[in-house]
Amino acid sequence: MRMTANPPCTTPFFTAPFFTAPFFGRVYLRAGIVLMALSCLALATLAPSAARADESARQYVGDLGDSAIAILGDDTLTPEETETRFRALLLGALDIRRLGLFALGQYARLPTPQQREEYFELLADFIVAVYLNRLSSYSDEKFVVTDSIEKGSKGREVIVSSDIVFSDGTAPLPVQWWLIRDPDAATFKVFDVNVAGIWMAQEQRGTFASQIRNNGGQFEALLDGLRAETRLAQTGAEAG
Amino acid sequence: MVTEEAHDVMRGMGRIMRSGIAVGVMAAVFLTLGACATRPAPADTAAVAAFKEANDPIEPLNRYFFAINNQLLDPLIIKPLAQGYDIVLPRVVKDSIRNFLDNLDTPVILANDLLQGEWGRAGTTLTRFGINTTVGIAGLFDPAERWGYQQHSEDFGQTLAVWGSGEGPYIFLPFLGPSPPRDIAGFVVDRFFDPFTYISFDGDTAFAFARLGAGGIDRRARVLDTLDDIERTSLDYYAAVRSLYRQNRNNSIANGRFDPAALPDISDIDYDFDTDIDAPDAAPNGGAPQTTPPPESLAPAPDAQGNNTIETQPAPASGLGVGT
Repeated sequence: MRMTANPPCTTPFFTAPFFTAPFFGRVYLRAGIVLMALSCLALATLAPSAARADESARQYVGDLGDSAIAILGDDTLTPEETETRFRALLLGALDIRRLGLFALGQYARLPTPQQREEYFELLADFIVAVYLNRLSSYSDEKFVVTDSIEKGSKGREVIVSSDIVFSDGTAPLPVQWWLIRDPDAATFKVFDVNVAGIWMAQEQRGTFASQIRNNGGQFEALLDGLRAETRLAQTGAEAG
Repeated sequence: MVTEEAHDVMRGMGRIMRSGIAVGVMAAVFLTLGACATRPAPADTAAVAAFKEANDPIEPLNRYFFAINNQLLDPLIIKPLAQGYDIVLPRVVKDSIRNFLDNLDTPVILANDLLQGEWGRAGTTLTRFGINTTVGIAGLFDPAERWGYQQHSEDFGQTLAVWGSGEGPYIFLPFLGPSPPRDIAGFVVDRFFDPFTYISFDGDTAFAFARLGAGGIDRRARVLDTLDDIERTSLDYYAAVRSLYRQNRNNSIANGRFDPAALPDISDIDYDFDTDIDAPDAAPNGGAPQTTPPPESLAPAPDAQGNNTIETQPAPASGLGVGT
């Protein structure tokens, strides 16, 4: 488990007693040292909560990965059932609203509210179709969470690293999960996933913006593209 | 011998003429196809920001070359060769070819490791070369990997990025694929680091082309399924390849170090900007004149330049800000 350093314990509180000591004598020196010790103790009790939050993030990702592999690897399910369960898992975990608006990039304000809602629906279908397709081969693997790191200044985001370990000895596939804390439910939502070095939402961001820009800035073009692509991915899944 | 020199001169002249013709053809294509992308109207701040983020000012020409590659060169020449290579050769042979080619790249990798100040990685490169050339029989095998010395690739394009250079506008070339200016400059400089530039086998360029060709086919064979999958599942294959190329380059440049601060900052972005469905439809980016400004309480106020966009920071995948 990664331990975070406590800077306050090492800087101002550390120096304060030594600056004041020559002027106010031993009493204040002792008081300063006691104060410093108490502060460090207080901070030490706070720090584990950051570590505990990291731990819950890793737990969340571990459970998510295991569930995904369990669904993909369950041979007793029909393809429709696999898709339904995978869809439920994915949509429960993903922060579609943030992810979708991030993927629109600079065009996030372009759609009308109705178009935006339709976009989120189509995006959900698109993600399920495409990533079910891409991930359907990863059914026989083990999922191992390796590390986590905080991101951003507001303590709301965590990036968890994991590996997909293959049974045939191929090098493990690194997967990173960019989580956003959901304060109400005290759980996490997935904002983006990095597979083998490629962030998925960033990949789609460039593509969606390109689709809009090359069709005269019309948002409908993106919706049409999503519908067509989802159909293609679904028929590809049925055929393949 | 006189005839041999004359032959060389003729060959040299032929090369110059061919490259001159090539330049002329490129210029003609450039001008007639309207290779430059139309810049969006300055008032349309979102489109302008998106245009800058894509960093692809000659997109029509790039798409043209991409189409040539994707619909002509690849299906007719490159892919069949790569598929044949993949199916016919046993895995051991393919690995040996890759190991051999990687070993030949050692001087270039070492030079760039040193230029980037990566002493540890430079040491690994030297160790790998020592082990693989001897125990690995001229680099055909890779015992160094099993002993803990991982292979890594370096080129001068990455070194330029580490030194602070941006990628430059995106360029897509036939055969070569994505080749932004920094990476082309890097490739040229690497030829000076490569001892095989100076070792010529009786003036015969066959070895150089064979090496380039084998490397290209090996790389194409490695990504056969991945590229097929991406083509099938992406809205815009050209844009997907552009994004993937940039993300991949950024990963290589980072030399395996992951810095969460390099990712886009989403913590300040307020996505709940119109929860009131009765609010007037802002539509500031549709190009139509905006008659009613969005209610102040719901939308983030435009900044000092009057920008009305949510996103102010491009994602690193655009290639902007890399190396800074």
